[in-house]
Amino acid sequence: MLLALLLCYAGFTALCLAMPRHHDELLGGKPSRRRRRGLVLAGWLLLGLSLWAAVSSKDWGLGLVDWFAVLMVSALALVLLLPYRPRLALALAGVSLLGSPVAAWAMN
Amino acid sequence: MKEGFRQAMAWLHTWAGLLFGWLLFAIFLTGTLAYFKDETNHWMQPEIPARALNAEASLTLAQHYLQQHAPDASRWIIGLPDARDPGLKVRWQQSAAKPGERGQFTSKILDAQTGAELQLRESMGGEFFYRFHFQLQMPYPWGRWLSTIAAMVMFVALISGIITHKKIFKDFFTFRPRKGQRSWLDGHNALGVLVLPFHLMITYSSLVIFMSMVMPASILASYGTNVRAFYDEVFPASNVPEKANQAAALAPMAPLLGKAREQWSGGEAGWVSVNNPGDANASVVVSRSGSDRVVHDFGSAVTFNGVSGQILAASPQQPLAMAIAGGFYGLHMGHFAGPVLRWLYFIVGLAGTAMIGTGLVIWLGKRQLKHARSGVMPFELRLVEVLNIASMAGLVGAVAVFFWANRLLPVSLAGRADWEINAFFMAWGLSVVHAVLRPGRKAWIEQLALAAALFAALPVLNGLTTPYHLGVTLIQGDWALAGFDLTCLATGLFLTWAAWKMWRAGATARLKKTPRETARPITLEQGAN
Repeated sequence: MLLALLLCYAGFTALCLAMPRHHDELLGGKPSRRRRRGLVLAGWLLLGLSLWAAVSSKDWGLGLVDWFAVLMVSALALVLLLPYRPRLALALAGVSLLGSPVAAWAMN
Repeated sequence: MKEGFRQAMAWLHTWAGLLFGWLLFAIFLTGTLAYFKDETNHWMQPEIPARALNAEASLTLAQHYLQQHAPDASRWIIGLPDARDPGLKVRWQQSAAKPGERGQFTSKILDAQTGAELQLRESMGGEFFYRFHFQLQMPYPWGRWLSTIAAMVMFVALISGIITHKKIFKDFFTFRPRKGQRSWLDGHNALGVLVLPFHLMITYSSLVIFMSMVMPASILASYGTNVRAFYDEVFPASNVPEKANQAAALAPMAPLLGKAREQWSGGEAGWVSVNNPGDANASVVVSRSGSDRVVHDFGSAVTFNGVSGQILAASPQQPLAMAIAGGFYGLHMGHFAGPVLRWLYFIVGLAGTAMIGTGLVIWLGKRQLKHARSGVMPFELRLVEVLNIASMAGLVGAVAVFFWANRLLPVSLAGRADWEINAFFMAWGLSVVHAVLRPGRKAWIEQLALAAALFAALPVLNGLTTPYHLGVTLIQGDWALAGFDLTCLATGLFLTWAAWKMWRAGATARLKKTPRETARPITLEQGAN
C-alpha cells in the first residue's frame, strides 16, 4: 500500500504541474508544450503504476479498495499542502519518486 | 437550455443540501466514528483485557462456561475474540416457556484467556454511534426511513453538485485559503471532487443495504455477521435437526473450527452457535468472520452434528446478486480493513463530513453578505445559523460529553448505558440553547473551545479514573486504547485551532468595520449641510 501511495502522490503532483496555473505558482513561469505533455504522460503513467502496485500484492477486490483509498488521500494531501507549504508538497513528490523503488524492493 | 438545466441543478443542490445537511452531517460524523466501533468499545469498557488470540482455547472456555451456567438453554451463541474485539462473548436463549414464544436472551463477556466472567461498566460504547447513524435514536422503523431518505437526498445532492460544479478538472487541485467565501467554496469543491469515489460508494451502498434492511434491519444490528443465526430462528426446520429429547453429551467444539477452516480455504470463524446443546440432535453452526474479504457473505457457515462432529451442511457459494449486494455491504462497513486502510476510511469519512459542513457554511455565508451592512439578520437566516452551530460544533461537543459520561458516571448506576446516551443528547440540546442565546460568531467560538477542552482533557480524565492511561497503554502496546487517547488529544488540538481561526477572523472583521462606521457620520453630516 505504501508503494501505491508514493506513486499516486507523485503522479498527482505531475498532473498538477502540467496545468499552467499551478506550474506558475510552484515553479514559476508557464510550462512549454512539450513539458506539459511529458508531465501529463508521466502523471497518468504513475497513477497506472500505482494501480498495478496496489493490485499485484493482494487480490483484485482488496487491491482496488486500497488503490481508491490512496488515490483519494494522496490527492487530498497534495491539495491541502499546495497553498500552505508548496515547497514541502514538491519535495514530498521528489521523495515519493525516489522512495518508490525502495518500497517496491521492500514489498518483494 | 443548458444553462437553465445547470441553474435548476444548482437550485436543487442548494435546497436539498440545506434541508438535509444538518442531519447528513450527524449521520456522516457518527458513521465515520463507527469505523472505530470496536476500538471505541474497548476504550469504553477497558476492563476487557486484550489477549493473544487462540480461537480453539477460547471456544473451549466458552463451552465450559455455558455447560456450567446454561446447560438447559435452547441455543448458545459464542462470539470469538478477534484482533479488534478482545472479549469472548457468550449469549444464550432459554427454552421458551410456551411454544411460539421467544425464550429470553442472556449475554456475558468472558476473559478470552481465563474464561472468567468480566465485571464491566455498562455502556453502549461505539455501538451507539453505529446505531445512531442509521436509526437516529428514533423508534423503529422511523429512524431507518429517515436515514434512508437522507441517503437518497445525499445521492441527489452529489449528482446535482457534480453538474453544478462546472470546472471539475480545471479546478481539480485548486484550494485558495484566506479568501473568505471563495475559500469555503474551494474547500467544498475539493472535498467533494477528490473524495468523490467514497461519497458515491458510501451513499449508493447505504441505499443497497437499506434495500434489504428497511424491514429486517434488526437482523444485522443484533446478530452482526451471524445473519445465519437469524434465519435459523425463522426457519429452524430448514437446516437444523429437531430436538430429539434424548440427552447426549456435546462433543468438544474446538476441533470443529479446523474443519470449518478447511471449507473456507483459510477464512476464520467469527461466531459459533449451538442449537439444543445436551440433546442427541444438537447442532453446531460455525459462521465465518467477514474480516478477510471485501465481499460480505450473508451467512457463510458450516453446520456440524453436535454429538458426532460430522459435517451436516455447508452453505454454498452465494449467488451473484447476493454477492453484488454483499460487495456493497462489505465496502460500506469496511470490516475487512486493516489498521492502515481503516484510518484511510476514517479520514475520507471525515472529509465527507467536512464537505457537508462547508456546504452549510457557504449557504449561510452567501446570504449573510446581503445583510452585513444593516447588521440585522432576518429570522430564517438566524435559524439556519443556530442550526449550523448546534449541528456541527454542538454535536462534536456532545460526542466528547458522551465519552466523559463513560468515565464519570458511577459503575453501580442503574441504567448506566442509557445515562451515557442521555448525557450526549442533553449536551446537544444545551448547545442549541446556547446558540440561540449567544451571537453567531461568539457561539461558534465558545462551543468549539469547549469541545476542544473536553477532547484534549479526555486522556487526563482517563488517567485519573482508570488504570489504563497512556503511560500504561503505550508501554503495553495496546494501540486501541492508546490510539483512542491520542486521537482525542489530536481532536482537541484541531478544535482549538478552529476556535482560534474563528476568533481571529472575527477580530480582523471588526478592525475592517470600525473605520467605515466612524466614516459614515461624517458623510451624513456633509449631506446634511
